[in-house]
Amino acid sequence: MFKVTVSDAKLLRNLMAAISTLIEEADFQADPSGIKLRSMDPSHIAMVDFELPSSAFESYSCPQPERIRIGLSDLLKLLRRAKSDERLELTYDGKSKRLELTFRGKVVKKFTLPTLEHVEEEVPTPNITFNAKAKLPSQLLSEAIEDAKLISESVRLEIEPERLVIRSSSELSSASIELSRDGGVIELEVKEPSRAAFALSYLSEMVKAGASTSDLVTVELSTNMPLRLSFEPPSGGRLLYYLAPRIESE
Amino acid sequence: MRYSIIADTYERIEATTKRLEMTELLADLFKRTPKEIIDKVVYLSQGKIYPDYMGIELGVAEKLAIRAIAISSGKREAEVEELYRKVGDLGKATEILLEKRSQSILFREALSVEDVYDAFDKISRATGPGSVESKIRLLTKLLNNASPKEGKYIVRMALGKLRLGIADMTILDALSVAFAGSKEMREEIERAYNLSSDLGYVAKKVAEEGLEGIKRFEIMLGRPIRPMLAERLSSPAEILEKLGGRGSAEYKYDGLRVQAHISKDSILLFSRRLENITGQFPDVVSHLREAVKSDGAILEGECVGVDPNTGEMMPFQMISQRRGRKYMIEEMAEEIPVVFFAFDALYAGRDLTREPYPVRRMELEGIVRETDFVKIAERRIVDDPDELEAFFEHAISLGCEGLVVKSVQDNSIYQAGARGWLWIKYKRSYKAEAIDTFDLVPVGAFMGRGKRAGTYGALLMAAYNDEEDVFETVCKLGSGFTDEDLKALPEKLKPYVIGHRHPRVKSQIEPDVWLVPSLVMEIAADEISLSPLHTCSKDSVRKGSGFALRFPRFTGNWRTDKSPEDATTSKEIAEMYRNQLKKISE
Repeated sequence: MFKVTVSDAKLLRNLMAAISTLIEEADFQADPSGIKLRSMDPSHIAMVDFELPSSAFESYSCPQPERIRIGLSDLLKLLRRAKSDERLELTYDGKSKRLELTFRGKVVKKFTLPTLEHVEEEVPTPNITFNAKAKLPSQLLSEAIEDAKLISESVRLEIEPERLVIRSSSELSSASIELSRDGGVIELEVKEPSRAAFALSYLSEMVKAGASTSDLVTVELSTNMPLRLSFEPPSGGRLLYYLAPRIESE
Repeated sequence: MRYSIIADTYERIEATTKRLEMTELLADLFKRTPKEIIDKVVYLSQGKIYPDYMGIELGVAEKLAIRAIAISSGKREAEVEELYRKVGDLGKATEILLEKRSQSILFREALSVEDVYDAFDKISRATGPGSVESKIRLLTKLLNNASPKEGKYIVRMALGKLRLGIADMTILDALSVAFAGSKEMREEIERAYNLSSDLGYVAKKVAEEGLEGIKRFEIMLGRPIRPMLAERLSSPAEILEKLGGRGSAEYKYDGLRVQAHISKDSILLFSRRLENITGQFPDVVSHLREAVKSDGAILEGECVGVDPNTGEMMPFQMISQRRGRKYMIEEMAEEIPVVFFAFDALYAGRDLTREPYPVRRMELEGIVRETDFVKIAERRIVDDPDELEAFFEHAISLGCEGLVVKSVQDNSIYQAGARGWLWIKYKRSYKAEAIDTFDLVPVGAFMGRGKRAGTYGALLMAAYNDEEDVFETVCKLGSGFTDEDLKALPEKLKPYVIGHRHPRVKSQIEPDVWLVPSLVMEIAADEISLSPLHTCSKDSVRKGSGFALRFPRFTGNWRTDKSPEDATTSKEIAEMYRNQLKKISE
């Protein structure tokens, strides 16, 4: 039996939306310490690693480990109906295999959703040493990426000791956006300058969705290796994305 | 087992022009395959994932494959399409694109045969909302892990276009070579295949149980037996000679050949090409359930559309309208009711295929209790060519295609999957097409059944014999009437109804109601055939035979401008028969 309450459904909604940028069917693991999910997108280009501790909830009860696999688009539809003054109760019963959502405000709204058959899926942790790291306001990164998106379908991220550069180019046009300490970057940690290119169809969605959950983001890079984006929601827990680079033909 | 082993074999098979080499390559592949998955490898080598009779096809749409290729290669869909246009093969295009992939993935793992098979299995079963997305996902995942060469075959396979040209017979050869070292097991393996139509299943049996296992191979309900086929001859004397002087002449019904697998809790119907057609004929299923008293039987029969009012067989085009339907199945079953004419029993609690025909026929008669919708094929044991010819004509006049004359000797076993001289087709080599319409006179009527209850269901139609001044019957008419026509019939015919045959009517058929020859109707038909049932120009071409119209239908035109003596004459019909007799080209 899994039973939790959240006072503000908005954060939960944004987190679910962030996960749904990569996967449609989410397989959550719940235990006394909180809920977790780790999953790759179907093409194995990206991965999401999510954790929300029990302390992030107003009340939390899950004495036995449970696995809850659910279609995110259905869940999101319901979460979007939450009003700001409503408290949300989530209950899952391993026997009925149904997730029950109760919105308590002036009126009480109750929904039940079917859950899906659990799918066994091995998701290893990418074993990467990151040589460069930048921490910055997530909104700043998001806007820089939207700028680069005007030019091309992919971007190159470069982290140097003094700055984070985002470049994109097409046959005739190009863009470069430089973010430095003066321009709002909070932290730069560079063992060696690193660069890699990424598909914007992934990166832009991840950054947008992540920015709605957390004010700050950490970008980690190594040359031509997967990227890691870490968001830390204010309620605690984490939202990590990994994204494999594009192969650049020089 | 790595999928790359299969891909390498494909590539070498593609490069060879010699069948023998193809067999060797396949035999090598089968030897290297773990027993548990040999069925899967066999299906994959023919571009399939199941035996044909399961009716599960891969057939991923091109557009969808292009999307998966685009995602996996990191190219835009337009680029994939452009290259496809240039090289003309999406598999080849995939290979080229994967060689210059522009998107890496987080983890790559070598594809196993099981990975590929399972993904295709899931793709083939995906239906309903979201199935397009999940097909793309599954295909993308395969391509992500595929080498360029593997990608080429995965895409061809997904599109249902593997096209390596590996025939069933080549696989049988290769299995024998792989597991017996030579072709010594070939015959037994082929027999197993003929009894199950499932190469994968046979391969597994060979791999796991060897020659002994394959010798013990048995028929199973639910797996179709490959049908026995007939040779063809065009003279009754030759046919009888070939069969040792005597044979069992069965009507060759003009319908769909169906193999029915009847078990305690289910009935499956397979077409001649072994497609599962159970869903299209729910009426046949329930009629068989009623008529066949057995917990385990495999029967072969011909499904023929029968006009419920005239009791006459409908042309093949009618029943073929019931094939491949997904909607309106019940409605069509009512409109075109089907009779199952059983002609063989292959299994009845035991394998009958090694029994001679007379024993099988006896078993058939023992387990089928005839009803209106399940009948045992009409037959006659003949040893005289003239008798055979007469029986043949009779069959034709009823709407049959001809006869199948079957051996009644001790060696007359059921040769699954083979064409042989134990069965000989006798079809017509000439037919007289009916080009014009006919003006005919109703001389009798039959009470309607089913939808036509309460009115007449069919009329007995006659031509005018102007020499003797009599009306001679030429067909039973039940088609071409609109609902209004039918409703109006009793009122329209009422003035002409009499309690006995009119003295000017010559008929061997007894209708429910006799009519005074008065009205004239315009009738279209497919052809004119000889018939012992009708009196039109009887004995003019052959002793004992008159003429009949095959598949007659009312054009809707009442020839009120004509008197019955102005109707088409018997002589005219005989003339048309002679003039229009044409060789059937086949």
